[in-house]
Amino acid sequence: MAIEDYRGDVEMCCRCGACKHIPLQKVKGIEHSYACPSIAKYNFHAYSGSGRLLIAKEMLTKGFKYTDKLLDIVYNCQMCGACDISCKYAMDMEVLLPINEFRIKCVEEGHTHPALEKVINSLRKQGTMVPGARGKRAAWAEGLGLKDATKEKVAVYYHVGCLTSYDKNYQKLAKATAKILKKAGVDFGIGYENESCCGGRAFQMGYKEDFLNQAKKNMAMLKKAGVKTLVTGCAAGYQAFKVLYDKYNLKGKLEVVHITEYLARLIKEGKLKLNKKVNMTVTYHDPCYLGRLGEPWIHWEGKRIPGYKFVFDPPKEYRRGTNGVYEPPREVIKSIPGLKLAEMDRIKEYAWCCGAGGGVNQSNPEFAMWTAKERIEEAESTGAEAIATACPWCEKNFNEAIKKSGSALKVYDIVELVEKAI
Amino acid sequence: MAISKDVYKEFEDVVGEENISDDPAIKDAYRSPNITVVLPGDTEEVAAVVKLCNKHKIPFKAQSTGWSFMPPTYDFIFLDLRRMNCIIEINEKNMYAVVEPYVISAELQGELFKRGMICNVKGSGSTCTALAMSGHGHMGLTTSTGDRNDLATEWVTDEGEIIRLGTLGASDEWFCGDGPGPSLRGILRGGGVITKQATKVYHWPGPSVYPLEGSSPRYTLSQKPSDLNMMVRYFSFPSIEKLVEAELKIGESEIAFELMGFCPSMVSSNITTSNEEDFATLDKFTKEVQGPGFMVIIAGNFPEDFAYKKKVLAQIIKETGGKSLKTVEDPAVESTLLFQCTRVCASIRETFRAGGAFSSMMVQGQRYDNHVRWLEEAAVLKRELIKKGLVIADDGQQFGWGEEQGHLGHTEIFCRFNPYDEKSSKAVQEWLGKVGKRALDGCFAVPAMGVLPIDEIGKHVSNYHIWFGKLKKAFDPNEVGENTGYSYVGADISGVHTSIYKKEPEKASSKK
Repeated sequence: MAIEDYRGDVEMCCRCGACKHIPLQKVKGIEHSYACPSIAKYNFHAYSGSGRLLIAKEMLTKGFKYTDKLLDIVYNCQMCGACDISCKYAMDMEVLLPINEFRIKCVEEGHTHPALEKVINSLRKQGTMVPGARGKRAAWAEGLGLKDATKEKVAVYYHVGCLTSYDKNYQKLAKATAKILKKAGVDFGIGYENESCCGGRAFQMGYKEDFLNQAKKNMAMLKKAGVKTLVTGCAAGYQAFKVLYDKYNLKGKLEVVHITEYLARLIKEGKLKLNKKVNMTVTYHDPCYLGRLGEPWIHWEGKRIPGYKFVFDPPKEYRRGTNGVYEPPREVIKSIPGLKLAEMDRIKEYAWCCGAGGGVNQSNPEFAMWTAKERIEEAESTGAEAIATACPWCEKNFNEAIKKSGSALKVYDIVELVEKAI
Repeated sequence: MAISKDVYKEFEDVVGEENISDDPAIKDAYRSPNITVVLPGDTEEVAAVVKLCNKHKIPFKAQSTGWSFMPPTYDFIFLDLRRMNCIIEINEKNMYAVVEPYVISAELQGELFKRGMICNVKGSGSTCTALAMSGHGHMGLTTSTGDRNDLATEWVTDEGEIIRLGTLGASDEWFCGDGPGPSLRGILRGGGVITKQATKVYHWPGPSVYPLEGSSPRYTLSQKPSDLNMMVRYFSFPSIEKLVEAELKIGESEIAFELMGFCPSMVSSNITTSNEEDFATLDKFTKEVQGPGFMVIIAGNFPEDFAYKKKVLAQIIKETGGKSLKTVEDPAVESTLLFQCTRVCASIRETFRAGGAFSSMMVQGQRYDNHVRWLEEAAVLKRELIKKGLVIADDGQQFGWGEEQGHLGHTEIFCRFNPYDEKSSKAVQEWLGKVGKRALDGCFAVPAMGVLPIDEIGKHVSNYHIWFGKLKKAFDPNEVGENTGYSYVGADISGVHTSIYKKEPEKASSKK
């Protein structure tokens, strides 16, 4: 699908403004009523979901004219999909997909962002989205005696992800995950140096071809290794393997599970016992790519029925954020003795983005920090001592924002909390 | 660039570099190729921008939250008021709230719920401005119409003068729109820029936060409406006369919190989450109803009050031959209607979802029973379009309801259609013209803007447009304030409802 294929959708935008806010039933007052970081920060309608569609509509009619401002609009979006959910509360139309295709078109026509080009060059050269990554991908696993899934059969393949593999501050997440899985008696392995980037963030940035290259490479490796279940601790990785690979008919029968889903399953089955008290109140931040955008892909092909209604043959089932991964992370948190959960105003399908999505943490760090600070203030308003999340990219962005703002809030991945409890 | 670099710089000096743009991409998002967009942050910046417009004789137009597409603008300076989004004050004692233009109704309502209060929300929905401007809606029975809720107002005139109206003109108080202090409420519409306004607030017997469960788009209440001392019903009647009788009795007894003259298609839109489900539900409802109907919401302050109101309602319905739509009695459906219609969250489903656009003819202000005959005639004409497959098939349904407990009223009929289908657009525009003319010729009512040329409407209504033109000249001697739809003598904006989808706005022309 290309942007041209979404002409009908972009023409459906009625400029109601719903895409700027969380679903209206959930608005509890003047605070935390916005869903879209981009319109909240940049104010011109062009920075909203609606504005992006209206620009696309005009350009589909008159031709694409790239200005610096247009590219500023295009790249100052976390692709978090909040606009999509709020719109689809009421409307039958796609919002995020055409926005994504617009960005892909920009990249394909050479209108890239220099900071994102640098990241993609790293992907092309080193197979990672962490520019300047040095050393081995699985250096964190040295001495742990983990199985190499590419050399021996395992029940579960743990895809570690770029940031967790290469950033020394976040290798602790991989170590904690390995420790927990071992404790639960899971027969798992990792890919060591054969693991490669999932390509998900490349797709968010508009680099569809690079994403497809990664996807094909990964699926070939996983198929060869006979992997049936893939577990990942990265929300972007989860969405890539589970949703995007499926969208492009590359996933096959691979079962994709986020670590929080897997831990919830192990706890329910009694294979993982959480005995130690973790006396703390946390609030949970739903990563966009695990929550609303983690909803399974729905394969559909059809045509608009000619006439006055916006209906299709066969009927189109929309992804509206209903089936994202919301409960498993909460179930895990609630299973930890002593740990209390205090919810924020914006949660689940209408959660506010951490700011790192869409490559914004690399293309516009100041905007990424602004977005994260908004979330940190929201987290603080719950009275929680810490914000728990389930994605290393979120954790990193929050940590950086906290460092800059001087907040006393702590940040944990859920695996770190589970590690404390075993 | 529509304006010279030097002039652009003057505007930039007022609002800052980051708050002005004439880039094509920015303008595309406003669907107006000839504008420069400015984002003023406060009243002083609005006034300074307007003064610059006067200095350079550049037309301007301001917009708060916007909803749907406004008529094509031929202006150079477009003030998007998005940065002005603060609730200035909620005065619980004197029952008013003061807001800036970009506070949306959902935000204000959310704050008021916590205090046991509610504001009027326009029918276009709670994503729209909380300013108490024109607009009739679901809560009109209790909270009246938009323009009956405005109190003291801070207003920047078309010349850039900041005027404080009502009590604000004589003190720092916002509680009255008419004084002590100047009152210009009758001429506010369409001129200048409202930068702050007090709106009335009312008692709210419902919960401070609705206990919602589930995920979008299928939220449900965790409690039955009856557990909250609330009830929603849809009644259809054997005739318009009986419906009107029931409405007036409900108004006289003051038992209802909300009475919305929904037609079955609006009920089905509210409770369904896709077009396909909507059309199937509408088919079912159309067979179940016996004639015209309305939805009513009862809200008790305590169990005995709730029981009393329900009992009175039952008696009225019995006397008028009303029939309850069984589907709505299902607590799951009932609860969806309850939070949708008290928070006015699904107007977009009612209007845009089916075809992408709607064009409406409404009559407001008079009592419902005075102009309901016109509505029936308009429905006959609408059914002709349905037969030809030009608009969404909803059996020609129209709607209306009494406001202020039935002392005033609102009737409306709209066609939903595909705006990119030329035949449909043309047919709808012609239909609007016909029903508008019928309203005038039959002395039923004055059609809303955009239906007929202002001159044609004005001559039927004391030549108000000429007076408005004089006021316009007095307040806007440089003719920079864009309010074509309201006051320019000779302005023909008929057709704006459909033309915005197919016509390129004409080249900007200064009105020097």
